[in-house]
Amino acid sequence: MARLDPTMPGLHLAPDHVFVRVQRVAGAVGAGAILLCVAGALLNPAAFFRAYLVAYLFWFGIALGSLAILMVQYVTGGAWGAVVRRVLESGTRTLPLMAVLFVPLAFGLPYLYVWARPEVVAHDALLQHQRIYLNVPFFLVRAAFYFAVWITVTHFLNRWSLAQDSRPEPRLERRLEMLSRAGLMLYGLTETFAAIDWAMSLDPHWASTIYGILLMGGQGLAAFAFVIPVAAILARRPPLSRIITPDQFHDLGKLMLAFVMLWAYFSFSQFLIIWSGNLPEEIPWYLRRIQGGWLWVGILLALAHFMLPFVVLLSRDVKRRPRVLALVAGMLIVARFVDIFWLVRPTQGSAGLELHWLDFVTPFAIGGLWLWVFVWQLGTRPLVPVNDPCLPVMEAA
Amino acid sequence: MKRPPIYGLLAEFDTPTELVTAVRKARAAGYRVMDAYSPFPIEELAEALHFHDRRLSMIVLGGGITGGLVGYLLQYWTSVVEYPLNIGGRPLHSWPSFIPVTFETTVLFAALSAVLGMLALNGLPMPYHPVFNVPRFALASRDQFFLCIEAVDPHFDREITRRFLERLDPQSIAEVAH
Amino acid sequence: MSTPVLEARRDSRPPVIAPGHTFETVTDRISRVVLRRGTPRGWIVGFALSFCLMMVLFYSVAALLFRGIGIWGINQPVEWGFDIVNFVWWIGIGHAGTLISAILLLLKQEWRTSINRFAEAMTLFAVACAGLYPVLHLGRPWLAYWLFPYPNTMGMWPQFRSPLIWDVFAVSTYLTVSLMFWFVGLIPDLATLRDRSPSRIGRGVYGILAMGWRGSAKHWHRYETAYLLLAGLSTPLVVSVHTIVSFDFAVSVVPGWHATIFPPYFVAGAIYSGFAMVMTLAIPIRKFYNLEDFLTMRHLDNMARVMLATGLIVAYGYMMETFMAWYGGNPYESFMILNRFGGPYAPQYWLLITCNVVIPQVLWFRRVRASIPALFVVSLIVNLGMWLERYIIIVVSLHRDFLPSSWGMYSGSIYDWSMFVGSIGLFLSLLFLFIRYLPMISIFEMRTLVPGAEVKEETP
Repeated sequence: MARLDPTMPGLHLAPDHVFVRVQRVAGAVGAGAILLCVAGALLNPAAFFRAYLVAYLFWFGIALGSLAILMVQYVTGGAWGAVVRRVLESGTRTLPLMAVLFVPLAFGLPYLYVWARPEVVAHDALLQHQRIYLNVPFFLVRAAFYFAVWITVTHFLNRWSLAQDSRPEPRLERRLEMLSRAGLMLYGLTETFAAIDWAMSLDPHWASTIYGILLMGGQGLAAFAFVIPVAAILARRPPLSRIITPDQFHDLGKLMLAFVMLWAYFSFSQFLIIWSGNLPEEIPWYLRRIQGGWLWVGILLALAHFMLPFVVLLSRDVKRRPRVLALVAGMLIVARFVDIFWLVRPTQGSAGLELHWLDFVTPFAIGGLWLWVFVWQLGTRPLVPVNDPCLPVMEAA
Repeated sequence: MKRPPIYGLLAEFDTPTELVTAVRKARAAGYRVMDAYSPFPIEELAEALHFHDRRLSMIVLGGGITGGLVGYLLQYWTSVVEYPLNIGGRPLHSWPSFIPVTFETTVLFAALSAVLGMLALNGLPMPYHPVFNVPRFALASRDQFFLCIEAVDPHFDREITRRFLERLDPQSIAEVAH
Repeated sequence: MSTPVLEARRDSRPPVIAPGHTFETVTDRISRVVLRRGTPRGWIVGFALSFCLMMVLFYSVAALLFRGIGIWGINQPVEWGFDIVNFVWWIGIGHAGTLISAILLLLKQEWRTSINRFAEAMTLFAVACAGLYPVLHLGRPWLAYWLFPYPNTMGMWPQFRSPLIWDVFAVSTYLTVSLMFWFVGLIPDLATLRDRSPSRIGRGVYGILAMGWRGSAKHWHRYETAYLLLAGLSTPLVVSVHTIVSFDFAVSVVPGWHATIFPPYFVAGAIYSGFAMVMTLAIPIRKFYNLEDFLTMRHLDNMARVMLATGLIVAYGYMMETFMAWYGGNPYESFMILNRFGGPYAPQYWLLITCNVVIPQVLWFRRVRASIPALFVVSLIVNLGMWLERYIIIVVSLHRDFLPSSWGMYSGSIYDWSMFVGSIGLFLSLLFLFIRYLPMISIFEMRTLVPGAEVKEETP
């Protein structure tokens, strides 16, 4: 079987690759959007922070989802993960950027979270009860801790995977698996509390035990929906064109379908339980999300986040055609954004769906920067983890 | 003396590879009405026989859609039209409450159509089939692989077909009585 | 050939089938258990014991029908007791079969092949045991058909906004689909038994059940499609069943029941207990029938890993319930948690935590996963822990709810215990009959794992 030498040319992203152009465009768009954001932040800080949090959680979901999927693959194995390993790894290496982009949020906490406003806390018994958990210093310490965990795990996973390129060692394989097992446990805990801190506590009177899992499912889906189009583009040229087959797209498509169904399952379960209970501390969360224009956003989600992709992805042919599968994945990425928007944005007291121009700018500001870093990281390593034991046998050149 | 008509000729092979090769050669020789028998499913065999049947997926899809509609409409009709009751102030048409049962009936109908559809398309249960007249055919459910070229095939001729099968180097050849 | 979705790694772990087997040896070895003349003494003793236990169940049911459900320990405020605990416990156990058969089939996991038939049978019998309890709890079980929607002279219809009617649909659908899945999987093996049975009766019975299966390539083609479709349908179905069981609790507003995490947490718990039960049963059976070649250490290792993973999800569920009870600031919720930790049922609660969360952590160690006695003990402990979990969820939430004047205590009566133990007898009796009369490992699927099963393409 033809195993490739990691030092041979042609394993890296070619300088004339379409992604290099994507990176240039993303950088330019991102830079422009950031300027607009700065202006927006000065004009209307409240609107800016709301829009920023939505965009931040969206791109953050792809990055952290990539880390989770990467670890799941190390624990379970499977060729689908080996062929997109370097894409997932590049996704995880954007986490330091996400840590930096978290800093602006630290300055806007009172705009976003009622528990960060002392005058509100003073008149609210529940917020006083929650104060030992929901307070600004502890919030920031926790965020720092989450990022420390994620970046540490990312660092070692990436380092050992790169080391594997030059020397195939069972010891490294075993280490990667062990770290992934521990990493998945840490992920489960940190992601849950990050979801509670950053998104659920926007409405501290509302609590849902499934919330962490709901966002985990969303992040997994975001990672697949991002990786599939990237893999489809990379698969057009060597080196990936030589290892990736319709079988792998089929598997990736199946897993994406599984996450679509999981998301629908978690979301509907939460809705049905809260709707049936109809308790005064729970149901307002949903009432806010179905009043005015928000109802249409919710219906759009049911269609674009579940029904349409579900029906399309049932087809075997769709899953085996990278181009069509990438289109479905692209739609799901947009649906992911709408979902985060629907979860995060209505909390801040407005009566109906009120859009601000910054809502459209912040996703491009963070996204441009994020994509720029992603492509940069993608180019730093061979696109194929040549010594990965899960890699399908490579066709001769 | 005229021999009684037969159902076909049955050739026995030891390995799946030999059987698939035999089917391919029989196809190439012009035979169309034939069937292969194996103790476990062999993907390549259906391809070699040029046999594709997508009807079952369609039947299951139809069953599922029917089941979903039946389930939802049953709940709608009983809860809203036929027997309206105020339960905890919930609306008569409580669509979130109707989803679980709708899901179950969808799966139930789809699964029933998968099983019944498979049996119907395969013509099962079938109390009698000529191939069982060959004693060695009992091994088709253990470790042997069989190819039966049926007498209704336009190219079929007792002698010529037998000679053709002999060239495939089978373990045994038997005439299948009706 | 298709590649597995998971675990495609070339590794050094034990194989899924011992080397040296052929189509012939696989067929003969597995069918011998069914077709041998005479019945092993161990089987007779085991079946006799299970049968006695089953008679305990029948006696208790007769007593219940005669005297009413007052013979159970349930009373205000704890109206759900052992009956619902046992219902949820059994139905949870009944999840592993379909999970192993369907999900692992979709993921193209070869190791499922030796355990799927057996696990499916276990599912059926566990669901049968589970179904018994809610029906008996009706008080007038002979009117159980009122649960189904049918036009009647009373002019009444089921109340579809109640999760209890969802349960009726979910459990009966699950039983039907599992039965079909199991039977469809059996058809080719029934044909094998028909062709190999030395007795006339055997040939007749297996022949009727095999429906004239002859292994035609065209039949196999549709058969495979149907089997895959059934697997695809069963996967969401199995998740839905325990989800709906969890809705029985979660759509109410009782503290400790009304939690949005219940659906995934119940499903994970079901898989956890189901795999524990498969392991509890598989370990003695592989030993007794010398099936170590087919049920290898690889299977036990994989099952232990699944148990570890699902056990951690269950632990996550306990943690989230506790955290949110504090975070939400609802006094009833926080009281419920404190009542679990330190109330009258605290010993049972901490035993549950020990069984479900603490002890199974030994499965992290490879040496434990390679030790059969250790796995057997852990699987028993998890079975116990999962039973206690349902006991805690049901009893602790009910015995002290919103009105302190209505608080009370609950414990199972002698009939609760006899029915629980008796249902284990029913389960084991059915299992013994299954082992004796049907192949407990799928013969035709095992043939596909034999080295010679792949079609070698000629090189041009």
